[in-house]
Amino acid sequence: MKDDPHTKEYDVIVIGGGATGAGTARDCAMRGLKTILIERLDFTAGATGRNHGLLHSGARYAHTDPESAAECIKENIILKKIARHCIEETGGLFVSLPEDGLDYHQAFIADCLKAGIPAEELDPAEALRIEPSVNPDLIGAVKVPDGSVDPFRLTTANVIAARMNGADILTYQEVTGFIKSGSRIVGVTLRSHRDGHEREVHGKVIINAAGIWGHRLAELAGIRLNMYPAKGSLLIFGHRINKMVLNRCRKPGDADILVPGDTICVIGTTSTRIPYDRIDDMEVTPEEVDLLLREGVKLSPAMAWTRILRAYAGVRPLVASDDDPTGRSISRGIVCIDHAKRDGVEGFITITGGKLMTYRLMAEEATDMACRKLGVNKECHTAEIPLPGSEETADDKKRRSHIIELSTEQKAAEERHGSLTGKIVSDDDAADALVCECEQVSVGEVNYAIDELHVHNLVNLRRRTRLGMGTCQGELCACRGAGLLERHDKCTQRSLDDLASFLDERWHGMYPVCWGETLVEIQFTSWLYEGVCGLDTSEVKVNDNPTQH
Amino acid sequence: MKFDTIIIGGGLSGLVSAIECARAGHKTAVISAGQSALHFWSGSFELLGHADGKTVIDNPLGHIDRLAETHPYRKIGYERVSQLLSRVPEILSDAGLKAVGSLERNHLRLTPLGFLKPAWITLGDYVALEAGSPLPWKKVALVNIYSYLDFYPRFLAHGLEKKGVECTMASVNIPELDILRKSTTEMRATNMSRFLTDTAVDKLAAEINKVAKGADAVIMPAVLGIYNDTPVERLRNKLDLPVWFVPTTPASVPGVRCQLSLRDLFIRLGGEFIPGDSVRKGVFEKNRLRRVYTTNLGDMPLDAEHFIISTGSFFGHGLIADMERIYEPVFGLDLNISGGRTEWYNKDFYASQPYMTYGVTTDENLRPTLHGDIVENLYATGALLSGFNALKEGSGAGITLATALHAASKITG
Amino acid sequence: MMTLQQQNISDNNFESCIKCTICTVYCPVTAVNPDYPGPKQAGPDGERYRLKKPLYYDEALKYCLNCKRCEVACPNDVRIGDIIQSARIKYGRHSPSLRDSMLADTDTVGTLASAFAPIVNFTLGLKPVKLLMDTFLGIDDHRTFPKYSSIKFETWYRKNVEKDQKKFQRKLAYFHGCYVNYNYPQLGIDFVKVFNSIGIGIELLEKEKCCGVAKIANRCIKDATRDAEINLHSIREAVGNGRNVMLTSSTCCFTIRDEYPHILKLDNKDVRDHISLATRELYRLVDEGGVKLVFRKDFKKRVAYHVPCHMEKLGWSIYSTTLLKMIPGLELVRIDPHCCGIAGTYGFKKEYYEYSQAIGEPLFKQLLASNLDCVATDCETCKWQIEMSTGLPVENPISLIAQALDVEATMKANGVSDN
Repeated sequence: MKDDPHTKEYDVIVIGGGATGAGTARDCAMRGLKTILIERLDFTAGATGRNHGLLHSGARYAHTDPESAAECIKENIILKKIARHCIEETGGLFVSLPEDGLDYHQAFIADCLKAGIPAEELDPAEALRIEPSVNPDLIGAVKVPDGSVDPFRLTTANVIAARMNGADILTYQEVTGFIKSGSRIVGVTLRSHRDGHEREVHGKVIINAAGIWGHRLAELAGIRLNMYPAKGSLLIFGHRINKMVLNRCRKPGDADILVPGDTICVIGTTSTRIPYDRIDDMEVTPEEVDLLLREGVKLSPAMAWTRILRAYAGVRPLVASDDDPTGRSISRGIVCIDHAKRDGVEGFITITGGKLMTYRLMAEEATDMACRKLGVNKECHTAEIPLPGSEETADDKKRRSHIIELSTEQKAAEERHGSLTGKIVSDDDAADALVCECEQVSVGEVNYAIDELHVHNLVNLRRRTRLGMGTCQGELCACRGAGLLERHDKCTQRSLDDLASFLDERWHGMYPVCWGETLVEIQFTSWLYEGVCGLDTSEVKVNDNPTQH
Repeated sequence: MKFDTIIIGGGLSGLVSAIECARAGHKTAVISAGQSALHFWSGSFELLGHADGKTVIDNPLGHIDRLAETHPYRKIGYERVSQLLSRVPEILSDAGLKAVGSLERNHLRLTPLGFLKPAWITLGDYVALEAGSPLPWKKVALVNIYSYLDFYPRFLAHGLEKKGVECTMASVNIPELDILRKSTTEMRATNMSRFLTDTAVDKLAAEINKVAKGADAVIMPAVLGIYNDTPVERLRNKLDLPVWFVPTTPASVPGVRCQLSLRDLFIRLGGEFIPGDSVRKGVFEKNRLRRVYTTNLGDMPLDAEHFIISTGSFFGHGLIADMERIYEPVFGLDLNISGGRTEWYNKDFYASQPYMTYGVTTDENLRPTLHGDIVENLYATGALLSGFNALKEGSGAGITLATALHAASKITG
Repeated sequence: MMTLQQQNISDNNFESCIKCTICTVYCPVTAVNPDYPGPKQAGPDGERYRLKKPLYYDEALKYCLNCKRCEVACPNDVRIGDIIQSARIKYGRHSPSLRDSMLADTDTVGTLASAFAPIVNFTLGLKPVKLLMDTFLGIDDHRTFPKYSSIKFETWYRKNVEKDQKKFQRKLAYFHGCYVNYNYPQLGIDFVKVFNSIGIGIELLEKEKCCGVAKIANRCIKDATRDAEINLHSIREAVGNGRNVMLTSSTCCFTIRDEYPHILKLDNKDVRDHISLATRELYRLVDEGGVKLVFRKDFKKRVAYHVPCHMEKLGWSIYSTTLLKMIPGLELVRIDPHCCGIAGTYGFKKEYYEYSQAIGEPLFKQLLASNLDCVATDCETCKWQIEMSTGLPVENPISLIAQALDVEATMKANGVSDN
């Protein structure tokens, strides 16, 4: 039995289970600080899990924000080294269409090279050859080292690393207040989202890595942060249309990036300023869907006839600096605030701004600041040491060199868990049986996730394994997953409620694109669950807000 | 090629009306585009289970008069619905399907998640409980097949224990199923049923007898009897305890059995079943459908005096939605839909979904309209019809069967 | 502006799959071979992964029979069989073996075998030879080889009936296929007899190669495409001359109509509707064209019609069975449709022989229990398989019609003169 977190005094309390928070917890723990990571809901439930999953080369910012561009290419190279099982080196193209002209294109190549981004100009015919899905009307193309990064895997790997270095992890614990001693914050009060239980956790330094929710968190500490919620909507297609990341070679705008990620691809984003009280209510509007498709087909015409699995939206956690209504000309530079200096509140740091690409650098800056406060003089090694799952062990290399001989679900698991795949029990046929057939998630993988990856419900399980993320959006696997989770949780009614909530959560992303096969799929799913299985609201309680899992 | 009656759609509705037409001596053809939603059948037919989408109904026929006038039951009328549906047990029996249930009083079926839901007819080997009475068992053994994922003993136990039934749980295996287990995906109910025949059934029974001792009954997943109930009877004879099946998620063994049994009955009655084909267009003459052209038969049309369209809802592709509109793809029949795609759904998954109530509009004889005019020799039946939410009412099969029988009786006189 | 999302499909409709699993119920391979992932996994589920990375290709896809029963069953019109065959061609890692190439090259083997037919038939029937083929080529020694004919159908045609055809006003072209040419000219002879007796002349194509079904199944795609292009050229010529092209093999017919565009990606839209089965055309003539068939009174047979898988996919068995029902002395027994298991060259291969026989078992049992004089079917490989596995004679419906036809009376009824 571990020490109870509230009797222990921590050096650092990290609030927020996105990539930044998990990365900060890892960095702190690696530097020997006694660390606890606290997440309101589940890891990646916020902006981390609601973006493109684009491994930026920095090219997108080369023209508008050279500083970010330089950061990106640096982190791009680091992530390829430390997070190989979370990323895919697909390469990327910036394509110019007739309506874009070639002026931007020329400046763009120069800007990339200036920022240290290898950018290679391609003949349109050559671009079409290496990426057949691109709009054949293109007039110019530039190849850059863009790729895709799986934010769920990346965050989980950071959490595992933090834990391996001694950090404690709490999920479903919302900070309800700060414990103060004079002008110094010395701890937080928490309320559990699972059972309502309240508790205190004490620590010397508190790092606010709560993204857009950090605004609210700071308010609890009596501090005003001017966060700028800009909503971005995206669409997920049923399979990969493109092999390489496709970008429009123009000033960043709507729906100009198509990223292949795992089995699917994602087009995005839109950008709309929303009121702060709407950040927990992410809804993709019909106008946004229309816009994404209308612009998206210009990048890759196949989008016009490819099945859309779902729509989702995230909130960019930008710190407002001016009144730009689009939220785009703002630098997405990292903001690391020492509230002792800014607001006279000791022991409180906010790390925000930045982007998924620079999560590690953000973590490094926040940890550096925490170390200074704690008087600890330890170097950061997060850029050199591979994340758990990305280590290059001899066994691992051997297994990967024989990947062709593995079965499909073993290959899929290998790509999801890297060198940790060995932890998945596959000693008999029963463990190899697939729970999620679309995404090739086996019983063994589900059990591993439940045992080791902080899984309490089906949405957690989905984020750790991709269960329910495939074509059928849970139709075939939700029930199987619930059956397996129940064996661990042992509360049958809660499992049934969870199953019902999971289907509702899936539906939330489906109704904005509810035509064609998506409508067929959901009717089928309803018949099965509500009809055949009798799962209705007279039997179960459904989570009030489908996005809050 | 000429027929008396052509039925477009080979699901429950299409097959039952086809059987009735063939039995009346009509030269009848069924054109079936792929297999039907019957493949997910729970083993129970519902007539009317819930009023207002919630309240459980005990006497389904008694509630028909309270439904909206556009509801298919109301169009046919209480008397006629009751007459027509009383034919169903005989049709099932002719097809070799033994079933229980009455029109007067709903019974309760046991769902895969352990809930008890109102039903009208249930296959003989599936759980059918008298509503309002204590359950007939004190203790049941929930027996799964080792490593089978689509049976949920703990959910079932949760439901049964609430009703005061003690549950034991066990799983069994026989070597005949190891071949399926080697595959990561094919340990499916329907696949198992292909192996659970003859002596494999005896071995399974022996294993179940070992683990079910002390219980009053065995409840197990529906993994036997995909083509007929011979393996089920064999299991019954070899088991020490009575056994009941719970349906599984797709594809379901009772569903396939029902589909194939009805199809075979239709063919035995001289009907022509055309699988894997779909109607591309129809030729109309003065408000009458004269002939249809199909994908496979190409330029050789099928002519008939009467037609029934029972192509289903969205799942059966009886209705198709694109980004802009919803349409009936075979003839472009009139639908009861207004508004763009944001009107089609409710954001709450468990609310009554508008799209579930969409379908073709018909006169009181179930004849659909095309550009506002009744097509005189065409009838629409089953899930293609508008004006009801089968899921919320618990009425899908009853409407499907009543409308199918109504159309057939109109055609055959 | 481009129309958005009007049709929600990619190649082969693969993403129309809503994971209903119905295809798995009807797959004949799943029931006998645990190494086959099943149509859902091998088809649409696997395709998403193969699009992600080709390394997800699973060699076990080779166990697919390409029977297309999954496609007939699919409620969403997903071309599951096409997805699997296309994946085998695109991602298959081993090039076809000597045995596979040999089985696939029906033309060359057939030409050689016909020339030495008596020796070949004798040799192929010898136990030691069968054992050698089993050991060195992987052709199962239990398998009975179809007999090679000593005279090719084409030779017979040119020698005996070609010049007679000129007298007919109405003409059809005949794609006879390898089987009729090398193994069983009698079917071609029957075909000419039936159509001549109703006043229709039969011409051969300018140049005919194997339809390619065996080459496609064995992934000899370059050769299959070359042959297919030659065939399409000949067919276009015939169609241009006003001749519709008839076949007596459901598999060849299906291959030319559907596998050419779907698997070989050869556009045949301009001629596809002119390619048909002899039974379908004969039915059309009887139904719409005023053609009359007069049958002999002394013909009596109890027959079951076996629907070949590709016939099920074509959807045309209705024409064959309706014609058979017209023969007064023929009692047509209904049997449940089942795959016979041979799937062209599949059942010849040692590694599949056992599966092949197990797949066909339910069919063989039914046929043997039905007290039949013979079995009717439109596919030659089904014929071999059923004959070998049940001992029952198997005939093409055209042959049965030819046997039952009162030729003189039919000619008279259709106003066909004898000279």
